[in-house]
Amino acid sequence: MSSIPGATARSLSARAPLRWPLHYRLRIQLWGVGFVLPTVLFFLVFKYGPMLWAMGLSFTSYDMMKTPRFVGVENYASLSRDPIFIQALLNTLVYIAGSTVFITAVGLGLALAINNRGRGRRLCLAGMFLTNIMPIVAVCLVWRFLFHPHGLINQILSPLGVGRIDWLTDSATAMPAIIGVTVWRFAPYFMVVFLAGLLAIPREYYEAAAIDGAGVLRRFRSITLPLLMPVTFFVVVVAALLSARIFLMPFLITGGGPGGATRVLSMLIYETGFSYMKMGRAAAISVVLFAIAMVFTIIQMRLFARNEEDAAA
Amino acid sequence: MRQWLAGPSALLGLLALAALTAVFILPIIWMVTTSFQAGEKMFQLTTEWIPSVWHPENYPNAMGRAAFPLFFRNSVIVSAAVMVGNLVFCTLAGYGLAKYRFPGAKLLLLLILSTLMLPLEVTLVPTFLVIHKLGWVNSLQGIAGPLLIDAFGVFLMRQFILKIPTDYLEAARIDGAGELRILWKIVLPQCRPVLAVLALLAFRDSWDQFLWPLAVVSHDDYRTYPLGLVRFGEDYGNPPTEQMAIAVLATIPVFLLFLLLQRALRSGFGLSGLKG
Repeated sequence: MSSIPGATARSLSARAPLRWPLHYRLRIQLWGVGFVLPTVLFFLVFKYGPMLWAMGLSFTSYDMMKTPRFVGVENYASLSRDPIFIQALLNTLVYIAGSTVFITAVGLGLALAINNRGRGRRLCLAGMFLTNIMPIVAVCLVWRFLFHPHGLINQILSPLGVGRIDWLTDSATAMPAIIGVTVWRFAPYFMVVFLAGLLAIPREYYEAAAIDGAGVLRRFRSITLPLLMPVTFFVVVVAALLSARIFLMPFLITGGGPGGATRVLSMLIYETGFSYMKMGRAAAISVVLFAIAMVFTIIQMRLFARNEEDAAA
Repeated sequence: MRQWLAGPSALLGLLALAALTAVFILPIIWMVTTSFQAGEKMFQLTTEWIPSVWHPENYPNAMGRAAFPLFFRNSVIVSAAVMVGNLVFCTLAGYGLAKYRFPGAKLLLLLILSTLMLPLEVTLVPTFLVIHKLGWVNSLQGIAGPLLIDAFGVFLMRQFILKIPTDYLEAARIDGAGELRILWKIVLPQCRPVLAVLALLAFRDSWDQFLWPLAVVSHDDYRTYPLGLVRFGEDYGNPPTEQMAIAVLATIPVFLLFLLLQRALRSGFGLSGLKG
C-alpha cells in the first residue's frame, strides 16, 4: 500500500479522531451525496423507471401505435394458458439449474486441479480464461459448427463408437448442448473466484491435519469443502443470476428449437415485444423473469449483508 | 495447499491439467485455424488443424462483404463510452458509499445493488420505450446509454475503497486538500488493480451486447459487429470460414485489453467474484 509523502500512518492516527466544525462536516457529507447522486439518478431513469413502467404495461394491451389499453390481468391469464410460455418458463428453470450446477462443479474442480500444480499452472489458467474473453457471438458461432452433425464433437466421439448425434436438432440433446457451451464459457471465470477462496485457507490447517494423520480425501472433506462453503454459495447465486438472463446462446445456437425445446423467457420477451409488437404481453413476461431474478438477488443481498456484519464484528 | 494432492503422481496431474486446458482451448484454436481454411474444407470427416493451404484472404474478403469496418467502429465507440462511463461513475459512487457517512447512505447502496435483478434482458421493453421517448432509437447513444453504469462496478469499487485507510483521507483534509483532489491523488492511485478489472469487464460486457442493440437499432449505420456477424452468418452465400475470420477479429480487442491490463488484473481479480 502506498503512503502519503511526509506523513506516516502513526502520526496520522495520533491526530484522529478529528472534531470538525459542523458546517464543515456537512459540506463533506454533501460531497459524498454528490458522488453517489448521478448513479442513483441514472438507475432511477434506466432501471427503476422502466421496471415500474413494465409492471404498469403488463396490465395493458399496447402495440406502440395506439395508446395502451387497460386489460387487467388478461396478459397474465392468457400467459398461464399458453403452452409456449409455459415451455419457455420450464426451459429457463431447467437451464438455470443445469448451468448453475455444472458451472459450480466444473469451476471448483478446475480450481482444485490448478491449485496443486506449480509448473505450467499460470499458462493453463490464462488459457482457460480465454473462453471468457472471446465474444459471446463468436462462442455461439464456433459451437454451432462444432455441434454440426459432421462437426468436431461427432468426429471426436465416433472413434469411441458413438454414432452420429444431431446435437442441435434433437430435442433431447439441444438443451444439454447449450448448457455445455455455457459451462465452457463461464466455468473458468468461476474457477478464478474459487482459486481466490482456496488461497484464503491458511496452510497451517492442512499441515496440522496431515500431522494428525488425515488423508487427502479427509483433508478435502473436512477442511477445503467447509471453508469454501461461502464462496461456493456465492458462486451458485451469481451463476444462477447470470443464467436467468441468458439470451444469445439459445437464440444463436439453436434459434430456440427444435420445437421450442431451447426457447427461454428472454427470447420470448424479444419475440413477443419486437416481432409481434405486443408490448403489454412482453412486459408481463418480463415481470415473470424479474420475479425469478429477484429471488436470486435477494439471496445475494442476504449474503452480502451477512458478510458486512462479519467484517464489522 | 499444495499438500492435499501432491505426491509422486505430479507428472500425471500435470498431464491431466494439460488435457483439461485443451478441452477449453481447442474450440478457440478451431476458430483460428478455420478462419484460414479454404471454404470447401469445412465439414469434412476429419478436421485439418493446420491448413494445408493458408487462406489469409478470408479476412479482407469477409470485411468487404458487409459493412464490417463500420460495425466494428460502432462497437468500439459504444464499448469505449461504456468503459469510460463505468470507470467514472462507478468510482465516484463507490467512493461516496465507502468513505462518506450521510443519512440514507445504506439505503442508496441497497437501491443500487438491487438493480442487479434488473438486467437489460428483464427491462428490455420499457427501456426501449425510454430510449424511444428520448429519440435515441437508431443511434449509438441509444445503445450505450442504458449501459453506462453497472451496479456491479459500483459494488466492486466500494468494496475495494473500503480497505483504504480513512486516516489518509483525513490527513489530506487537514492539509487543505479538496474532496476531488483527495479522490484523484490518494484514492485513485491505490485503485489500479480494481480499475483494471472494472475496465475489462465493462468493455467486454458492452462488446458482447447483442439483444439490446438488436432491439434498439434497425438501421445499418448504427449496427454493432455482433448484429452484423449474425446477419452475415444467416446469409447462406457467406462461407463459414469468413464468419470465423470476423469472430477472430472480434476477439482481438478484448484480448489486447486483457494483455494490457494483465499485471493489474492479476492482483485485482480475486475481488471480482460477482459476475461472469
